[in-house]
Amino acid sequence: MAPPRIKFDPSSLVPAVRQIEDSLRILLVDGQLAPGTSLPSVRRLAMELGVHFNTVAEAYRLLASEGWLELAHGKPAVVMPRSVPPTPDASWAEEFRERLRGLAAQLRSKGIPADQIAAELRAVAEGISR
Amino acid sequence: MRLTLSLLHLFIGVMLVAIPNLTRREILFAVPVPQGFRDTDAARRAVAIFRIVVALATVLCVSALLLVPEDLLNATAAVVPLVLVAATGISFYLQNRKLAPAAVQHTRAYEAELSDAPDRLPGYWPLVFVPVLLFGAAALYLDANWDQIPERFPIHWGADGQPNRWAPRSLKGVFGPLLFGVMMSGWFTLMLFATWFGSRRTRMRSVMFGGMMAIHLMLALLFSLLGANVLLRLPPWVIALAPMTVILPIIIAMVRKMSEAGEPMDPTPNECWKAGIIYYNPNDAALFVEKREGFGYTFNFANRWVWGLLVGLAGVIAATRLVLP
Repeated sequence: MAPPRIKFDPSSLVPAVRQIEDSLRILLVDGQLAPGTSLPSVRRLAMELGVHFNTVAEAYRLLASEGWLELAHGKPAVVMPRSVPPTPDASWAEEFRERLRGLAAQLRSKGIPADQIAAELRAVAEGISR
Repeated sequence: MRLTLSLLHLFIGVMLVAIPNLTRREILFAVPVPQGFRDTDAARRAVAIFRIVVALATVLCVSALLLVPEDLLNATAAVVPLVLVAATGISFYLQNRKLAPAAVQHTRAYEAELSDAPDRLPGYWPLVFVPVLLFGAAALYLDANWDQIPERFPIHWGADGQPNRWAPRSLKGVFGPLLFGVMMSGWFTLMLFATWFGSRRTRMRSVMFGGMMAIHLMLALLFSLLGANVLLRLPPWVIALAPMTVILPIIIAMVRKMSEAGEPMDPTPNECWKAGIIYYNPNDAALFVEKREGFGYTFNFANRWVWGLLVGLAGVIAATRLVLP
């Protein structure tokens, strides 16, 4: 099976670290990056995506802090086995809602009906296997 | 010789006049332009002005080469390429500035495979060591026939085709050109590997690597022939043309491959290009990116490894004073 791929859009208003971190997290949550998988080196991924080394390193660090990756100096980042953590306290919901509100407003401003946005969101949430 | 020089500069002038055509349709004077822009009056005017300036400079240079007195021919032959380059460069820059307001930012998402599999070089990469054989063979040939080397032999020829510098039969005189070739070849080997590993996102890196390998082998052939020529006694034009017969078909094939339609542009940010020629982007890890004019790669001058390569090249050039007779 071909290794999964990630995309980075240099023209997007979303910061580069966030784009890379989100793309990787989708693959991790979805199980496309299985535990034990080695990721490309920071240098290699940065060259392919046209970003600075630190941008990729920061994305890897953020995912390591969530328990998804193991980082060791001089070795590739490795995907860790990770059980579903207990639901965190209610503060997550406020931050999550804020991000969703911004996204929903962006789509509504483009004329997309609210029920279609809700349906898309449900399909995406249910489509992710873990 | 005068006629040959004039024809050579006429050919170079014609190639320079064709510069606006020797690039992608969506680029004009290194400015990324909207689709169909080349058919507008502004674009046609910019191309016409550029061509008039370069054509006038070419006519001036060729006339000078044909008409100057014999004793001024060498000096004129040295100045004429500089005049052509300056006229082309200034005219190009002015048209680049004029079209800059029409620039569009090409966009495309980059994609990367999440694999840690080794990034393997093309299978023919060991050819990189062929120059070692060529230089080694030339050195052995010179050493075995040392007694047949003249006490004094020509090493440089003027525009009139007459030798104007000689070297004695000494270690430096005989092996100097070979040593310079070895240094040049060493630097080019570094460039080859840097081209492969420093341009991972460009879709044409196999083509570039092949072309660079061809240039690498051509330089090795050129310097080994130059080194051995004290015994081979080939005419200078044979030495100049022999490598060209190797490299020209490869370069033409390479340009044709790279200009094939359908390859989207590398969406490097417009603001990181100075005059459309110099790329400086500290937020891009790449050593090499697609050029905005012509075909091939250019350096990302914000990458410190690029400066390492350039310092290495400067070192090789500076060493000519030490190793060449």
